[in-house]
Amino acid sequence: MGARVRIACGGVTDVGRVRSNNEDCFRIVMPQNLFVLADGMGGEAHGEIASALAVETVVKHCLDQEANPAAQVIGAVQPNWSARTKRLSTAVHLANRKIFKSAAEHPEQHGMGATLTAAWIDHAKLSIAHVGDSRAYLLRGGSLLQLTRDHSLVAEQVRRGVLTVAEAEESDMQSVLLRALGAQPEIEVDAEEHILFPRDVLLLCSDGLTRMVTEPEIAGVLQAETDPVRGAEELVALANDRGGPDNITVVIVRLLKDSKGWFSWLRRGARKNQGSNGNAGGK
Amino acid sequence: MPKLSLMFDNKIVREVPVGGRPVTVGRAPDNDLSVDNLAVSNYHAKIYYEAGRMVVEDLDSLNGTFVNDLRIERATLHDGDKIHIGKHTIKVDTSGDAPLPWDTGRKTSAPRINETMVLDTKERRQMLQQAAAMGESMQFAAARVKVPTLIVLGGNTDQKEYILTNRLTVIGKSAMATVKLKGWFKPQMAAQINQRDDGYYLGPGDKVPKVNSTPISGPVRLNNGDVIEVSGVKLNFIFRE
Repeated sequence: MGARVRIACGGVTDVGRVRSNNEDCFRIVMPQNLFVLADGMGGEAHGEIASALAVETVVKHCLDQEANPAAQVIGAVQPNWSARTKRLSTAVHLANRKIFKSAAEHPEQHGMGATLTAAWIDHAKLSIAHVGDSRAYLLRGGSLLQLTRDHSLVAEQVRRGVLTVAEAEESDMQSVLLRALGAQPEIEVDAEEHILFPRDVLLLCSDGLTRMVTEPEIAGVLQAETDPVRGAEELVALANDRGGPDNITVVIVRLLKDSKGWFSWLRRGARKNQGSNGNAGGK
Repeated sequence: MPKLSLMFDNKIVREVPVGGRPVTVGRAPDNDLSVDNLAVSNYHAKIYYEAGRMVVEDLDSLNGTFVNDLRIERATLHDGDKIHIGKHTIKVDTSGDAPLPWDTGRKTSAPRINETMVLDTKERRQMLQQAAAMGESMQFAAARVKVPTLIVLGGNTDQKEYILTNRLTVIGKSAMATVKLKGWFKPQMAAQINQRDDGYYLGPGDKVPKVNSTPISGPVRLNNGDVIEVSGVKLNFIFRE
């Protein structure tokens, strides 16, 4: 099963400047091209437990695909989704059950939970699954496109036209989530499929970044810094410069132009097209 | 610098400064002010700065937290206030400078401000109903469900209209594009529409699209009735009721 795209990726997680423990967690699994990020919540060290449990569960279930391809699909799925998207969405449901069960069995873990944003790339297809207010963005054509919608009260109010985006950013209710892993025995998971193009840049991040750094600034760093780890470090530093009130986690995935992979086939096709009629189709 | 003095029998037992980080009070030894008395809960109360004011918050303690003899759940503190917890008193001294920034790495499991929380379903329903009611009274909320739709006015595409269901709609020749352009020289990805919380935004791809005959320099929010032109295709963006 080849996930044959050439990518460069890297991630950084940082405790920030205010908190004393890091409840964010991320995993990059290569060469399967699986990227998972979670932001935990709950008193004491329970946020850390929740986010680690979420990430581990999702990674394990997805990697198990080759050994156990016929695993049951949990939750609502769309029939036209790929097996991977279904698998990823199921993995998020499983993570929710695990955290919920753990919290139910350990009274001191009551109230623990986590956000989760996961991306899985197969050739030029990107599967996204998501719960909470950690985000996935795609930088393409110079624009930062948001691939997830926050399951937060203020975002819901913006969608209902009650608040403007600017008002939501000023709100002191920003921390109120409507959906998170571990809060309910069963939840709804947002999942979607997207096509990827060469030079796309995928960003997964926790709210510690998006509350402190604006989208144009994020786009600027992603465009200027081509090394994924350095880019992630730069974004973390920006959030910390502004106080770093929360944990900050950034995962950057860059799709490279590949001379051998799937994209070169695309480009060869494009060149052939141009060749058949001079530059008429060119720019 | 503002400080708290823990007193017992009118004698100062301990003093702690109040900075950006909350000061916790309780019987457990990992509190900033640990009080070894059975009338005090393990994690009894915390005192911290919020919007420039010192605040005390009772952490659901068994025997309660009192400020100047009034039982409180949460109260703003002033210079000279006395907090009573069990048989102990905490004297508040807000004179001195503004709170120090959070002293990082001092403690491994410090309590947190601005903690993320999840609303349970009942609370959530109530708040959303309130929000929706507010929206209606402000004439903002949609009376009916509006379906964002692209209607093809001209050019060669695989369908005559498209309902935008994804967060991201790609207009291009790519096999996976939503709006598939037909013809030899079409770009794989001519433009894209991103659904955001406050609406639908058109952004450039390999081409710079025009909205109502004006080329766009970056993502622009689409309004009902806008006409998009890109790569020889003309599309009308509407919200269908």
